[in-house]
Amino acid sequence: MPSLNWKHHALVQALMTRGPLKEKDFHAIFSGLTGKSPGAHQGLFNEYLLNINKELSSCQFELRACRDQYVGQVCYGVVNNVADEQSKLGTKYTVQQIAFFKGILEAIAQDVIAQGSISNIEALNIRLENQVLSTQGSQLLNGPLPAAFRNFTMSQKEKTLDEFVQDQWLCCTPDGKIGLGVRSCLDLRGWFRNLDVPFCEVCNEAVVKGELCQNEGCAVRIHHYCLKNKFSRRSGEILCPRCGLKWQNQLPKAEILDEEEEANDAIQSQPAQRPKRKRTKTNETHEKDAVGCGSSQSSVPNSDFRRITRSSSRPASQR
Amino acid sequence: MAGATQDFSQFDISKEEIDKLVAEVVRYVLFKTHQNSGCPIKREELVQLVTKNYSQRALPAHVINAAKEKLSNAFGYELRELLRCRPSSATQGRSTQQTGVAEAKSYVLISQLPAEVYKKYVEDENSAHLSGFTFVVISIVHLAGGKIPEDILWRHLKRMGLCETDASHPVFGNAKQALETLVQQRYLQKDKVNGPEGNTLFYELAERALDGPVSEKMKEYISEIVSKDVVPVDVDEAE
Repeated sequence: MPSLNWKHHALVQALMTRGPLKEKDFHAIFSGLTGKSPGAHQGLFNEYLLNINKELSSCQFELRACRDQYVGQVCYGVVNNVADEQSKLGTKYTVQQIAFFKGILEAIAQDVIAQGSISNIEALNIRLENQVLSTQGSQLLNGPLPAAFRNFTMSQKEKTLDEFVQDQWLCCTPDGKIGLGVRSCLDLRGWFRNLDVPFCEVCNEAVVKGELCQNEGCAVRIHHYCLKNKFSRRSGEILCPRCGLKWQNQLPKAEILDEEEEANDAIQSQPAQRPKRKRTKTNETHEKDAVGCGSSQSSVPNSDFRRITRSSSRPASQR
Repeated sequence: MAGATQDFSQFDISKEEIDKLVAEVVRYVLFKTHQNSGCPIKREELVQLVTKNYSQRALPAHVINAAKEKLSNAFGYELRELLRCRPSSATQGRSTQQTGVAEAKSYVLISQLPAEVYKKYVEDENSAHLSGFTFVVISIVHLAGGKIPEDILWRHLKRMGLCETDASHPVFGNAKQALETLVQQRYLQKDKVNGPEGNTLFYELAERALDGPVSEKMKEYISEIVSKDVVPVDVDEAE
């Protein structure tokens, strides 16, 4: 196995300490370290990532990229691939907070029209009890629910939502709703599979926010940006890859372009803040766990996230 | 993947099993460090990961060493070993061993990247205030000779704008908790000393702050700051 040098380590540690990074930031680090830009030196960039992953894979971690489903932007992170005993440690969230998170994820992922987000109010009304039943099986069906789950107050939920957004497990969409954050997209693939969330025909990633085939019996989903690529390249009509029905793009082409421009504007201006919350810096130093690790941490939950390594762990302190 | 320098042939265990054990230890260290915000991990916890399934005596040491190599090769982290030190009032000199008491070793992860690289690419701006706080507190204790009474420490911090009673400081939140975290991370340790006026609580430098490289750098930085500051300051507080 080729051994890694300090440049590889810097890339990995950057993701683990700072969490998932947008493509341009990650590329900037690469350029700074090697003096070469990934765009012009694609082969070198890929080689770096490949070598890093060869080492990381022995520990069940992976450096991967995914597209943020809300703005179509690519992000990189170090994620945790296996949910084992160790990764369960990799989170600073309490059991109730995790149950709350699962509830939110399910609500977003199971939206039949794949809007990819839920409103603030819906999020705050998520009931933790449903999560408890599903994770603990028959044991709790007859017994009383743990008081802590019932007593998870509104203000605790608000605070927790803030933390999730800060840690990038969830995000605030430009229209003020709650959507999945970058860490969730990077790290929770397996989880989406379990929930039977359809995967995109074009890029094979879970479609939480995207478009559906007009055919009622057909479960095909495609991301907005994947569709855009398809439409812009062909001059004829697009047919649904599975059922063959002519694919109506649900927004007229002009609007799709506008939407993208709007999204870009939103990124350049102040990122959407949750209304009225002043966030005091708490004493958290986090790692990504998975560094951006994985499903815990975490990082995050990690891994990369936290849980993810959110987990991604952020383990190191400089001497 | 088992470290090239570790010889596992003496154990009757397959390579896959060794690799798995090493991966478990590496993952434990990474996740736990995240969860407890950089507080040292006890060696005993790592040993248990091995001994819960395997009983060979020398195996834990080998696995931990292989994990050390792995962390260094794959991530660029050093698994630094610290020896838990006891408060100075409890021992004679610097000896940490008493008959029958095992040394309490613990580990922290330290980045092996050159300082400029770390600062430029890796450091998380959101936690810079914590590093700053750590540095300031350790410097104060260091300049006081390695040990300082609690109220004097807070007096110095107050001069810099942080009060003991601050429960919602805009940057540090609960001030007391921020200081307590340094104790948990083993930069400081607490020591109660019996004095003529009753018990006094002292803060002392603990193993993480006394660790060779850290201590050296601290001295460098402090002397840099002190040599710049030529204006004499009120020293009536310095005891």
